[in-house]
Amino acid sequence: MWKRCYHWFNERFDLPKIQKPINDQLTKPLPGHISWFHTLGSMSFFLFISQVLTGILLLIYYHPTQKEAFESIKFITNEVYMGWLYRQIHAWGSNLMIIIVFLHMLRTFVTGSYKKPREITWILGVLLFVMTVIFGFTGYLLPWNQLAYWATTVGTEIAGAVPFFGEFLKTFLRGGTAVGGETLSRFFVIHVIILPWALFFIVIFHLFCVRYLGMSTMDKVGEEKKVKEGQGVPFFPHHVLKEGIVLFVLLGVLITLSVFSPFELGEKANPLQTPHAIKPEWYFLSMYQVLKHFPKSIGIFVLGLAPLFLLIWPFLDRTPQRHPSKRPVSMTIGILVVLSLVIFGVLGWVSETRIHVFGKTYDVDMYGKPHLVPAQTPPVQKDIAP
Amino acid sequence: MQGWGLAQSAPYNSCLECHADMAEEMKGSIHSQHQVHCQNCHGGDPAKKDQEAAKDPATGYIGVPDKKQLVKICGECHADVEAMNFYGIRTDQLARYKTSAHGKKLFEEGNVRVAACTDCHGYHDVTAVSDPNNPVYPLNVPKTCAQCHSDERLMSKHGLSSDQFKKYESSVHGKALFEKKDISVAQCASCHGGHGALPPGVKDMANTCGKCHVNEQKYFSQSVHTSIGCISCHDNHGVAPASTALYEQACGQCHVPGSPEFQLGRNFASMISASQGKLSATKDMVKQASIEGIFVEQEMALLEQAKTHVLEMAPLQHTLLIEGIIGHYKKISETTEDIKTKIDRKRQELVWRKLALIPIWIFIVIMAGAFWIKYKRLKEEKHEGSGHE
Repeated sequence: MWKRCYHWFNERFDLPKIQKPINDQLTKPLPGHISWFHTLGSMSFFLFISQVLTGILLLIYYHPTQKEAFESIKFITNEVYMGWLYRQIHAWGSNLMIIIVFLHMLRTFVTGSYKKPREITWILGVLLFVMTVIFGFTGYLLPWNQLAYWATTVGTEIAGAVPFFGEFLKTFLRGGTAVGGETLSRFFVIHVIILPWALFFIVIFHLFCVRYLGMSTMDKVGEEKKVKEGQGVPFFPHHVLKEGIVLFVLLGVLITLSVFSPFELGEKANPLQTPHAIKPEWYFLSMYQVLKHFPKSIGIFVLGLAPLFLLIWPFLDRTPQRHPSKRPVSMTIGILVVLSLVIFGVLGWVSETRIHVFGKTYDVDMYGKPHLVPAQTPPVQKDIAP
Repeated sequence: MQGWGLAQSAPYNSCLECHADMAEEMKGSIHSQHQVHCQNCHGGDPAKKDQEAAKDPATGYIGVPDKKQLVKICGECHADVEAMNFYGIRTDQLARYKTSAHGKKLFEEGNVRVAACTDCHGYHDVTAVSDPNNPVYPLNVPKTCAQCHSDERLMSKHGLSSDQFKKYESSVHGKALFEKKDISVAQCASCHGGHGALPPGVKDMANTCGKCHVNEQKYFSQSVHTSIGCISCHDNHGVAPASTALYEQACGQCHVPGSPEFQLGRNFASMISASQGKLSATKDMVKQASIEGIFVEQEMALLEQAKTHVLEMAPLQHTLLIEGIIGHYKKISETTEDIKTKIDRKRQELVWRKLALIPIWIFIVIMAGAFWIKYKRLKEEKHEGSGHE
């Protein structure tokens, strides 16, 4: 049967001719220093596939209207067979995807893989990271609950602070003066049509670059030696087996998080009731916190520089070295950026909450500065909630 | 007496020459805002500068009106449909006053130690009834009535008790009025009437309470107790929050403990208490489930149904027909049981979800382990292969 099928196709497509480039790619050896960190790219790709599949399942029952969005998600969670599971996998998947894409980018930075001739691969990667974050931002609104509504209000308000065309951008994103049904429609279209296809084509282009240019070695720019046949690590089956292992573990982690720590749906969006100390999603917290220290337009300018610097980084760092120990300036900048992201993120997270540390209670102000609360003062704000 | 027309055409008011202090009082009153001036109540001609001419009896001058005059003067405008029409004010106050205990004493017995218009509304500084400072604004009515009705000497002359205000203050109505500032709650005028103030007799008690407690009245009219009225169990001025403890306290006033009627009361009490208990326990269970992360939307809806049944029991018990209460009790039991079953099932489902992770992780460990072994073997083979070379 198999032979007959092969024969049928071979008569029409000359299979050995097609098979050759595929085999070439499969057997192409990878450099010897390839580690477990080099599986982060395939983990990102796996999460993208998972998001597409669970997203399709969610689309079967989701109604993108102001009236029905919340109810349809509630229906998926409560009534649809296994609906709770794929909703949670989708929600957790989006969060993990941002983390893993970021780590993938960080690995590329540390190993100096963005340097010549792989500048375009890096730029595509930065675009993929930005798009992943936009994916998260647009998807966050779709359940149409209180948190989503107000986080989107804050988010689009930030867009409104962009100099010159900020007001236009805000209205364009919202589809009106306030977040409403039009915003939901726009975010829905961006989330399920524009971004997935855009991401798909960029991923294809990114992968093409990776395969065409080959994995970076740790040799200096211009001194890279091509990994010869029989040397290094074969992509198939060696590296694919490693990827298989992390993908299984990742799948387990996704399901476990979905079961043990499900995302609550909360209350339906109410434009007339602003919740206390509303904050954006965790991946925007550092940006949100930085904005508090600057006048709006300057803050936007400062934050706008970050993705710009990321994009042009391969052209700024022109040193030939790839090994991190031989790139002290780059590495110091990288460590400072990561540290500031973590510090501002934590400050944003604890700001405008009441925290308890070593038996003492502190009210944290909007800048993240703690103020000791005298013992008798009745609680006015909620404790930090995860 | 002069009407509204003259009031509007009085550019000079000689009364103010001597009574400037009263003019000050009048300034903020609703009457002065609507061009009702001195001569409209006291007579006289304020246009005349000469005091004697202004107070000439021919001008209708009466000075300070006595109580009977006062009621009639107020009534002249306030019972005039044409005059009051534009203000949307009722015009039956005078007619009602005449039917009231106050009015009857004044007009039939000539007793002036009774309340007339100014005793409750004030005089020169009369404001709109909707003004929160007005003595007959709902929040102030009990204190206004208490000016006389808490006066022990005055009340004893009429053979009335003087503890109504104290009782009212501690009653469920009084607390709602004074503590929660709920002006929709019953105060003196709600039951006794304002201008036509009369104590409602036992016969009319159900209708009086029924003005607010509509369902209670509807069901009470079907009971065997219609002739003893609401106050036999609930009291009047000192009405306490209703609870099932009333069955124990009130039934025993007429029925011998142990009698079938007394026992019936206890059955009512136990069924209502049990229903409330079930509702409360189920509410806690749903809340706990919600805290545990279980979606309880459906259960919340069912809980509302059970709550409605419990709330319906309150008026329904006034029929004193146990069948209705039994029916509601059964519905509450079924609903709360249904909620419990649903939550148990969901909780069990959560347990299953967690247990399902065991085989999933076993599968993952086996697969990852197999891949790892294969990877190690390939690596060794490659190492050996390159060693040979």
